[in-house]
Amino acid sequence: MLRLIANSLLRRRWQSLATILGVALGAGLLLAVFLLYHGFEQGLERGRQRLGADLLVVPGNATVDPDRALFAGSPLSVYMDKKYADEARKIPGVRRVEAQFFTQSLKLECCSVGTESRLIGIEDKVTQRLAGMSANGREKLEPDEVIIGSELLGDVSKPGSLIELLGYIFRLGYRLEPTGTALDYSILMPIDSARDLAAKSDALKPVWQDAGDPHDLISALLIEVDDPSRIKEIGRKLEDLGPLKVIRAADTFQRLKRLMNAFVFVLAAAGVLTAIGGVVYLLGHFSSVAWDRKGEWALYRALGATKPRMVQLVVGESVALALGGAVIGLPLGYGLYRLAFTQLSAQNSFPFVAPGVALLVAGAAGALLLYGFIGFLSAAAPALRVAQLEPALTMAQGDID
Amino acid sequence: MSAQPKILLEAENVSRSYGTETILDNVSLQVRAGEVTTIVGPSGSGKTTLLALLALLLEPSSGTIRVAGRDAGKLSDAERSHLRNTFYGFVFQTAQLIGSLSVLDNVLLPALLAGKTREKRAVARELLDRLGLSARADFLPHQLSLGQKRRVALARALLLRPAVILADEPTNDLDARRAAQVADFLLGLPADGYALVLVTHDTQLAERAGNRWHIHEGKLTPPVRVTAVPTIRHEKFVLQTTNNETQ
Repeated sequence: MLRLIANSLLRRRWQSLATILGVALGAGLLLAVFLLYHGFEQGLERGRQRLGADLLVVPGNATVDPDRALFAGSPLSVYMDKKYADEARKIPGVRRVEAQFFTQSLKLECCSVGTESRLIGIEDKVTQRLAGMSANGREKLEPDEVIIGSELLGDVSKPGSLIELLGYIFRLGYRLEPTGTALDYSILMPIDSARDLAAKSDALKPVWQDAGDPHDLISALLIEVDDPSRIKEIGRKLEDLGPLKVIRAADTFQRLKRLMNAFVFVLAAAGVLTAIGGVVYLLGHFSSVAWDRKGEWALYRALGATKPRMVQLVVGESVALALGGAVIGLPLGYGLYRLAFTQLSAQNSFPFVAPGVALLVAGAAGALLLYGFIGFLSAAAPALRVAQLEPALTMAQGDID
Repeated sequence: MSAQPKILLEAENVSRSYGTETILDNVSLQVRAGEVTTIVGPSGSGKTTLLALLALLLEPSSGTIRVAGRDAGKLSDAERSHLRNTFYGFVFQTAQLIGSLSVLDNVLLPALLAGKTREKRAVARELLDRLGLSARADFLPHQLSLGQKRRVALARALLLRPAVILADEPTNDLDARRAAQVADFLLGLPADGYALVLVTHDTQLAERAGNRWHIHEGKLTPPVRVTAVPTIRHEKFVLQTTNNETQ
């Protein structure tokens, strides 16, 4: 039977190719939509995990895009007195305060996408949370240890490897899992080490002349409150501490979530329409096939093909076309997804996590199953019609092309 | 006296109508192993319909078709399909080859449908050899002459070693030489134990085949034996017809 199916498809090679390409485009689009959707979903979730805060406090003169700062992990090259961290801790209702210190941007030739890498000082609590996001993460770093983003220094992966930063030697603590944000291009170290490094940097001396001793400075505060209903009230109290800008995570998250939902809706609609289009296309194709090739089907019946065998032949052709299209479409879809991913990574403006191999395999297997089912569904009705053909038709027909 | 050959196929009071039009009217016929059954008649007389009924390609409006003693009307579609695949070999009016299949694969088609390709490949090659087509096994049908196509159809009909060969106008469209080749081959089959049912309006072929049943306007007349009988009254020979079932 497989031989007959293969022969039939090869016999109409241009028709088969057109059908396969049509299916391939649909399957590719569907896979790309699936991967992007999960990338966004995981990115947003990862952003929430990484943030772990209700409020972000930055200096009042900072020009900050809240989306990028909160969820995309964009570092802040602004500074304020570290006393604000202590004062924030004293506000009733504040559960946790974490400070970050942005050292400087580094231009590393190693980095493939041409994005600048960033050197950021973090407190131990941040280290602990990041450790929970990485399989081999550690909760505490030594002063000469660093955590590197997933996209940096690809040839350095073994913990304990030595890395030279701004003329000083550091040891690799571990590498972060991909986040699809600026964090993937960041080097994180204990906040005091980052300040020491910044203080020793000749390039940054003019900055410290204006801002003060880097050991007394921080770039941002991440604040978690006890009671979410008091976020606004605590935000106001933080603003009263000095010239500070307070960004509410909930507002930003909700806005981002709405934006993402709209985006996902469009993607999902495109995916569903693509799948429906596949069904309609194949249904049309096999409806006409049932009619156009009735001479051939009748001959098969006359020579002894049973009705179930006829259904198998017609459905088999459809499933073969659909699966063939899906198999070709999968790399196309992956390519489309990689293109979108590269664009999103370069922008760092939206949280996005590259799906892992397991999700990729699940997506590919799902697309194959779906299109196999679509192939079956599309040909089922025409196949039943073919099975009902009177074998005597073959007595009254000419040769079969 | 030797025993009668086994009845393989039998039509008993079979009629077939399309709407109000009766194509076959109360037809009865027996087909025996190792014999030729020739059905002759003008176009539109119901020859092909009778063949389709005998081949289980059609169902009668009334009457019974028996295949190896079994009432075909009581068989399931799977059983009828199995019989069409293994019990019958078909030679249609046109060769009905699949254009994209090689000659060899066309011969193998009944085996492909039955999932027995591997074991029948050698048989297919042997048949092509017998029919003088072994050099064209890998050709496509459009590369063959009409006569060659007809011989491929013959090989296809014989592939699964059926009991009954049904041939519908097998020499149609062939020139005299090619028609004779096809006829030679077909008429040699009963010697190998095949039952051959031949539908034709080719008088030469019908005469060679013998056992001629005549069909006209849906009615089937048994073969006639021509004998010379002296009569006293006219003192000359007249033709007398008698039923002859066995010939």
